[in-house]
Amino acid sequence: MAKILIPTPLRQYVEKKDSVEIGGATVGEALGTLTSEYQDLRRHLYTDEGKLRSFVNVYVNDEDIRYLSKESTPLKEGDTISIVPSIAGGLNGS
Amino acid sequence: MIRIEKNAWKVMLDHAKSIYPNECCGAMLGNVDGGDKLVRTAVPLDNAFGGSQAQRYELRPEDLLRADREARAKGMDLVGIFHSHPDCDAYFSETDLKNSCPWYSFVVLSMRKGEFDHANSWLPNPEQTAADQEHLEIVED
Ligand SMILES: [Zn+2]
Repeated sequence: MAKILIPTPLRQYVEKKDSVEIGGATVGEALGTLTSEYQDLRRHLYTDEGKLRSFVNVYVNDEDIRYLSKESTPLKEGDTISIVPSIAGGLNGS
Repeated sequence: MIRIEKNAWKVMLDHAKSIYPNECCGAMLGNVDGGDKLVRTAVPLDNAFGGSQAQRYELRPEDLLRADREARAKGMDLVGIFHSHPDCDAYFSETDLKNSCPWYSFVVLSMRKGEFDHANSWLPNPEQTAADQEHLEIVED
């Protein structure tokens, strides 16, 4: 089992829990199981095409899965998955 | 509505002043009860944008992850993100919108000639096409 930490604004879709324990061999499987158990959560993390939204970063413990094996990143017992948005901005519209 | 406690507010303004004329950024921690948000701690974070930072900012996701862990450890929530607009109004720009996340409040601080001028809070939509203004109040600790 891995522990998925749920960002505050998304807790309303997972019965107000701040984390959810989920089985799965990879990050993709665990997130897939999470979002089929809590279907209202799905559109907040995935696009209609089933891709993780562009602003969604997923970390296993301290590592961004983009630099591991993305959604195929394997999970070990006791791993913690965090969902962290990309945020930036600027004045000039470019 | 978002309320920001005076201590946290001072940390935000001091950070914006010290980073001026560049854009500053940081995280706001506190408590969320539906649409009712209270910011109790502000955490200045590095502007990680790899170019001129006078008109741009970027948060490192690792920094945001640390801020979220700090919030959890304190029994708080990550409530939102703040950043400054040097010599410009506290509107939510096209670039702000395109690089936003609909989960959080975005407080923008307008800094004129190095001093605080005014602030607004924004709630971007999931499509990143528009942001509603959120009522902002500064309250006693
Ligand atoms: Zn901005």
